[in-house]
Amino acid sequence: MFPLLLAGLLQTGFHSTTSAQNVTLYTPYTRIAVPPGQSIDYSIDVINNGKVVKNADIAVAGLPKNWTYEIKSGGWNVSRLSVLPGEKKNFSLQVQVPLKINKGTYAFQVLAKGLTQLPIAVIVSEQGTFKTEFSTGQANMEGAANSTFTYNATLRNRTADAQVYALRSFAPPGWNVTFKANYKQVSSVNVEANRTQDITIEVNPPDQLKAGKYKIPVQAATEATSANLELEAGITGSYAMELTTPQGLLSTDITAGDDKKIDLVLRNTGSAELRNIDLQSAAPANWSVTFEPKKIEKLPAGQTAQVTAVIKADKKAIAGDYVTNLEAKTPEVSSRAAFRVSVETSMIWGWMGILIILAALGGVYRLFRKYGRR
Amino acid sequence: MWKPSETSAPHPFQVMVYKEMSDHVRSWRFKILLLLILLTCMSAIYISVTNFSAAIKAEDPDGSFFFLKLFTISDKTLPPFHIFIGLLGPLLGISLGFDAVNSEQNAGTMSRIMAQPIHRDYIINSKFVAALGLISVLFFALGFLVMGLGLIFIGIPPTPGEFIRVIFFILLNILYVAFWLNLSILFSVRFRQAATSALASIAVWLFFVIFYPIIINLVAKGLIPAGEASPLQMVHYQELILNLQRIAPSQLFSDATVTLLMPSVRSLGILTMEQVYGAIPAPLPVTQSLLLIWPQLTGLVAATVLCFALSYFSFMRKEIRSR
Repeated sequence: MFPLLLAGLLQTGFHSTTSAQNVTLYTPYTRIAVPPGQSIDYSIDVINNGKVVKNADIAVAGLPKNWTYEIKSGGWNVSRLSVLPGEKKNFSLQVQVPLKINKGTYAFQVLAKGLTQLPIAVIVSEQGTFKTEFSTGQANMEGAANSTFTYNATLRNRTADAQVYALRSFAPPGWNVTFKANYKQVSSVNVEANRTQDITIEVNPPDQLKAGKYKIPVQAATEATSANLELEAGITGSYAMELTTPQGLLSTDITAGDDKKIDLVLRNTGSAELRNIDLQSAAPANWSVTFEPKKIEKLPAGQTAQVTAVIKADKKAIAGDYVTNLEAKTPEVSSRAAFRVSVETSMIWGWMGILIILAALGGVYRLFRKYGRR
Repeated sequence: MWKPSETSAPHPFQVMVYKEMSDHVRSWRFKILLLLILLTCMSAIYISVTNFSAAIKAEDPDGSFFFLKLFTISDKTLPPFHIFIGLLGPLLGISLGFDAVNSEQNAGTMSRIMAQPIHRDYIINSKFVAALGLISVLFFALGFLVMGLGLIFIGIPPTPGEFIRVIFFILLNILYVAFWLNLSILFSVRFRQAATSALASIAVWLFFVIFYPIIINLVAKGLIPAGEASPLQMVHYQELILNLQRIAPSQLFSDATVTLLMPSVRSLGILTMEQVYGAIPAPLPVTQSLLLIWPQLTGLVAATVLCFALSYFSFMRKEIRSR
């Protein structure tokens, strides 16, 4: 039916341009391409080439079903324009292309009844839908398991009514998906008809996730319509490490002024390789902690490295417990081992005391020997 | 010095010690003192048990040492157990020793003993050993009495660490009383009149308990550094005052008891910020507490031994005539 109609229209259009009339309808955009749901504004001039005032009854004919139009000039809805000889008058024609429409070329004419006609063609560039679109420019991202993936998506309401969309995700257990609209965390958004809403989707995968590709389906749904979007996260691995001792014992004792060697184990518990691991310490004043090695260039996932820490206590440290923090640091992650160090005072003075007591007792013994048996 | 005899008859030294002990136990003086000490200790236990629940606080690092609290809790009206012992212990020691030698000499019994075929030093040794034995029995009995009553009242058994601390506390008490005992024996050898030696002993005790702190205060005021003293000077000054205070045996005793009965005491001197930074308020193990008070113990032992040696020396050189 359409090609037939089209041919007929083209014929009449050809006819109108050839038949010289005193009144001409003119618009520059006689053939334009628009998406469904678009509202087209034509600015049309009515030119009077004659010698008398012409009254033009403006009408639109051949408009496909469901299309609507409005004719306005000078702020009025008009149906007839009067043009002085040798002058032109402008009116605007607003044509609303419906959302639910097939792809193709549609034609109609603007008539100045009995005077002239202007054929106009509109190419609908894509298949029109009466539904919602949920899309993103970048559905695929890659990162560490303990990083957050941020997707920017667009929700387009291609229905005729305003819709309140509930936003849901179907992520595997352990994943945390949050939706943000206008910088606020939301669970639903309100979108006017034929409008769009930018939605930021933040996806936080579980920290101990293995490397691989994961799909996160998200959905914007109302009672009437729904749209799905499948996001993809490429997990390269997680950054995690643990600094501890081989036995897990985080306490030691030390004699004041002495040093103590502590064997440490640095374990890469993540699923990605760690690089440039720095070993640092926070010890009480006048204590020193030296690590061997001071720095570890790289530690593959699941591997452990042996580190030796030598803690040297202050000579004036009092007996009892002190806390010393040993820390392994990379740009991505750090691990701290808080050591409880029990300081013991040196036994030298204890022995000195015993010596003094022995000397005193020895003196008494000498007294016994000298005076006791006479 | 004295060996057990091969025959079935008891060794003369043993006989002398037993005789001294029985003399002490039968004397009214000892009974009065015993009653006094028992009464004061009972009141101290009563105070500590009635205030027990109020004294246990969550943030107190000593809070887990329930049993040691028995010896240290008071409600400000009466001093706790260890202060009582610190006060009455010297009196007990002095009363057991002030007439040890001179009364026998005045009564004329000394020359009779000397007539026996025994070594001369058996006399002074037996007097010392008998008194020390009595004191030991008394203090162990008192200590276990407090522990037993505490068990009945609070129902929490002591941990091994607490038990060892209490045992060392009892030993410390015995040592402290032994010092005063030896001092009074020394005076009893030096002075012919028992009243003089008793007065001399009590004078020394009063001097250290009452007048010595006053003198230290005066000295401290005189020695205080001028206004713009460096922190180092202030530290030296404070240490000097502390060391002067520690000349008094009572100070040594109180330092040692506090450290033994309050495991959170980690230092008896002045602490700098550097030493405190990073320290966790936690109780010390028993060995560390003992090491901390080792100088105090050494000082007390040395003073006791010195007093004994002096009295021994002067007794052996003494001319004893029959009347």
